[in-house]
Amino acid sequence: MSAALVEIRGLSVHARTEAGEAHILRGLDLTIGRGRILGIVGESGSGKSTLASCLLRLLPANISRVEGSIVMDGTDLLRLGPAAMAEWRGRRIAAIFQDPMTALNPLFTVGTHLVDVLRRRFPDLSRGAALARAEAMLETVGIPDPPSRLDAYPHQLSGGMRQRVVIAMALSVQPDLLLADEPTTALDATIEAQIVDLLGRIRRDFAGSMAFISHHLGLVAELCDDLCVMYGGLVVESGPTEAVLARPRHPYTRALLDCEISEGDTGRLVTIPGEVPPVTADVEGCIFATRCPHVAPACLAGQPPLASVGPERRAACVRSFEILP
Amino acid sequence: MRGALRYVGARFVTTALVVLGAMLLLFALTALVPGDPATALIGPQATPEYARRFIVEMGLDQPWWRRLFTFLSRLLVGDLGTDVLSGRPVIQVVGAVLPYTFALTGASIGLALLLGVPLGCYAATHRGSTADGLLAFSSVTLIAIPSFVIAIFLLLLFSIYLDWLPVLGGGEPGNWVDGGKRLILPTVALGVGWIGFVARLVRTSMLEVLGENHIRTSRAYGLPDRLVVYKYALRNACIPTLAVLGVGIGRLLGGAVLVEIVFARPGLGRLIYDAISTRNFAVLQGAVLVVVVAFVLTNLLVDLSYSVIDPRIRRQDPVR
Repeated sequence: MSAALVEIRGLSVHARTEAGEAHILRGLDLTIGRGRILGIVGESGSGKSTLASCLLRLLPANISRVEGSIVMDGTDLLRLGPAAMAEWRGRRIAAIFQDPMTALNPLFTVGTHLVDVLRRRFPDLSRGAALARAEAMLETVGIPDPPSRLDAYPHQLSGGMRQRVVIAMALSVQPDLLLADEPTTALDATIEAQIVDLLGRIRRDFAGSMAFISHHLGLVAELCDDLCVMYGGLVVESGPTEAVLARPRHPYTRALLDCEISEGDTGRLVTIPGEVPPVTADVEGCIFATRCPHVAPACLAGQPPLASVGPERRAACVRSFEILP
Repeated sequence: MRGALRYVGARFVTTALVVLGAMLLLFALTALVPGDPATALIGPQATPEYARRFIVEMGLDQPWWRRLFTFLSRLLVGDLGTDVLSGRPVIQVVGAVLPYTFALTGASIGLALLLGVPLGCYAATHRGSTADGLLAFSSVTLIAIPSFVIAIFLLLLFSIYLDWLPVLGGGEPGNWVDGGKRLILPTVALGVGWIGFVARLVRTSMLEVLGENHIRTSRAYGLPDRLVVYKYALRNACIPTLAVLGVGIGRLLGGAVLVEIVFARPGLGRLIYDAISTRNFAVLQGAVLVVVVAFVLTNLLVDLSYSVIDPRIRRQDPVR
């Protein structure tokens, strides 16, 4: 892995909920390599989207406490003032969101969205030049007949087309970091494949790094250079995608892989018994202990740190080599 | 375009029905109002013969439903009847005071929007701040105080005690400066509660819109707050605000009656009030008709404005 673009250390996020104080991220460590695509996978409730919100510093109102550091190019984003952080958004960091149906303002045309974003990023751009560039961006993301689509309102486009528009917005600002928070979850399978194809294709011209958040291991395997597995507000395993998938070093990654439907599979689906510990619970030992088939007394002593388990690889399991030889 | 025309056509039919319903109610009510119109209009000294002739002239010997029918059939040819007191056509009587009421209500709405919209936006973007709390308190207070109380207070303070502004009346027609000066206090009296009302409406709609995903998108792309709030969010927040305002026009016209009376301004409200006290039914019917039509037309305008604001309502768009 080349030099890191983003280094997240000990990221901890608390939120106020009706059930009391929730610990959504529990001291997470994560690195996004320069020019790499990092896949972030995990079940619902593992804190993936909160992680994305932290990177953008657009946190929901019920977040009460954020600790740790998110260092990007030597700057700790968590220490920036609101105005300074706003400077980073739409310049250095851009995002694609989960639900393309609601991601665009229904009362403004595709062209307005793109032109405003472009002119904010490149203030010297004239309106005409911005429109021309917007048109070119729509072309890049595979939207047919770009000139007429500039005048279209979001409701006149399908979900897949809207997501392409958001991707065009993201690319148009030439960010160093592109966050894709489950960009295909709300789309049906064929469109999902097209969007993943598109993301794979654009990386040829895209110089920055990408963080691709998904609960779909197969997609991540297809698209990402590196992989990081989240569970219960922590990263439990990380490393180059191929190596991790070929030989997982954390029992949760193993279990996730077993859940994937592989070719030639017959019979019933495999599931991981149990549930993610509730965010309101205090967890003493390993976060996965309640569902781990290999749990031992050593696992209950405390959360194991992410330790090196091979070249570029880290896992948070004290019995890693014992149970996954 | 054809869809839009059909829509407007359908709305005109509804409008006609609303006017019919309102007039029906008005005629039924006038039949129930106690007091003899002839006595009220020409005084108790009139001879019985004269009073009798007067009643026949006004058509008051007919049952109310027949008077309604006569009224409506005359209406079709643009005749609102004649004011028996002055002998002038009702349409002239109403037309003479209409500009005063329109100026008053228009200026009040203008004042309410001019101040209420930015205040509401500010409160929504500074939710929970001291300013937000202060604004909530003063809004509710201003909404709760009846406009005539504010009117009397303003009169005492600015016209009598400080002597800055003219006391009463609507001013000479054609004298714009004087007319404008005389419009200030009534406008404030009528509009000040509406500033608070509009601010509350905008704040609520705005808070809802600001929580939506597309606003997060705008923020994620670093668009400045000014653009996010006043361009992207405000347009969305307009629709529920307009909907409530459209209905509120009725209440505004009702408030205008009281303000016109306190300031002794000519206007529809005052005309209706005087017409009721003197049982001058022809004028009453004409003035109420104008109020109903104004109300319905405002709401038609509000409904049509949705399709200007929200492209999803323009139904003729081909789906691409």
